Amino acid sequence: MVVVLSVIAMVSAAVLSLVYGKASVIIEENAARALESSVLEVLPGTSTVNIIRRSPDELGVDDPKEMREKEQRTTLIYQGVDDQGQIVGYAFVGEGNGYGGAVRVLVGVDENTDQILNVKILNHAETPGLGSRIEEEGFRSQFAGKTVQDPIAINQDIDIISGATISSRAVADAVRSGLQDAVAVYRGGE
Amino acid sequence: MARLWKNFANGLWNENPTFRIMIGLCPVLAVTTSAKNGVGMGLATTFVLICSSALISLLRKVIPDKVRIPAYIVVIATFVTIVDLFMNAYLPDLHQVLGLFIPLIVVNCIVLGRAEAFASKNSLISSILDGLGMGLGFTWALTVLGAVRELLGSGSLFGYQLAADGATTIGIMSLPPGAFITLGILMAFMNMIAARQKKRATKEVRP
Repeated sequence: MVVVLSVIAMVSAAVLSLVYGKASVIIEENAARALESSVLEVLPGTSTVNIIRRSPDELGVDDPKEMREKEQRTTLIYQGVDDQGQIVGYAFVGEGNGYGGAVRVLVGVDENTDQILNVKILNHAETPGLGSRIEEEGFRSQFAGKTVQDPIAINQDIDIISGATISSRAVADAVRSGLQDAVAVYRGGE
Repeated sequence: MARLWKNFANGLWNENPTFRIMIGLCPVLAVTTSAKNGVGMGLATTFVLICSSALISLLRKVIPDKVRIPAYIVVIATFVTIVDLFMNAYLPDLHQVLGLFIPLIVVNCIVLGRAEAFASKNSLISSILDGLGMGLGFTWALTVLGAVRELLGSGSLFGYQLAADGATTIGIMSLPPGAFITLGILMAFMNMIAARQKKRATKEVRP
């Protein structure tokens, strides 16, 4: 009885580790490719994407907790470069709390003007037909042209989607908080 | 031969898991917001059903009665994890939509139900056919449900926009209540058809 169950479990573990070894490579490649193509979308004209990682010491932070937070943020900045080698801008991933969990957005920012070029919703779990409308062009395009100086808040410079206040706010929060950090890290490290 | 066909066709209509036995309704209600999701979830479940039924049928004389349920669950969980990983690797778009519901196939009553009720007592071929029939029965039920909800809720079918731009869609059909409403109406239809068939059968016998 014990032997049979153990053998079944062992065979199962062996098969799964084999499958996982094969699949995880492809899964990681997929994720990297998906993110790269998203960066191309929010930074028009980009042909190559550099990932910018700045070590926390460069930022001059001593507190370990703050350092950890900064570390996570710094790994999330992507720099877009066009065919001529000109820097188009930089993109970062922001996160806000929506109705059905975290809403993750990718925001592209212009290199010269620090204005938002484009916003793309990476993933969300908002209600289909209501909150999911944050993906629509009409809502996302409101963020274009905004800078750190703008409030980027609902009912101020961002119109909400009717019936989806929380989802709309989640996107605005994600963009605003992410933009502040991204500008600080991107400009501060130079 | 006729018996084998019966094993296969059983799940399609007479004992259709969704409309007849009404088991495994959780994913039925949750993922059928579009026809494509229905097909994807159905086929993933079908794959798990066939593989687990086949393996459990082969092992039915080896597995001791007392530990049969844990043994079945391990077998089923293994196949579900394989589906989950492969879908994530090769169909990332579908995986993002079905996400949470793929691991939940493990506890889908259909899979364990068929292992316990059929595969553990029948030959390999019969069990595979039973798994295939049940899986396809589940798939068509999910597809029809998904198609109706997608058509009414978003005005499209398999992702193709059918309704004109700006046409009013019934938003509630994409939400959980829409799943209950659609399932209820479809079940009523199924019962109606079954009742007619029965009536006809008795009429033919009488004269």
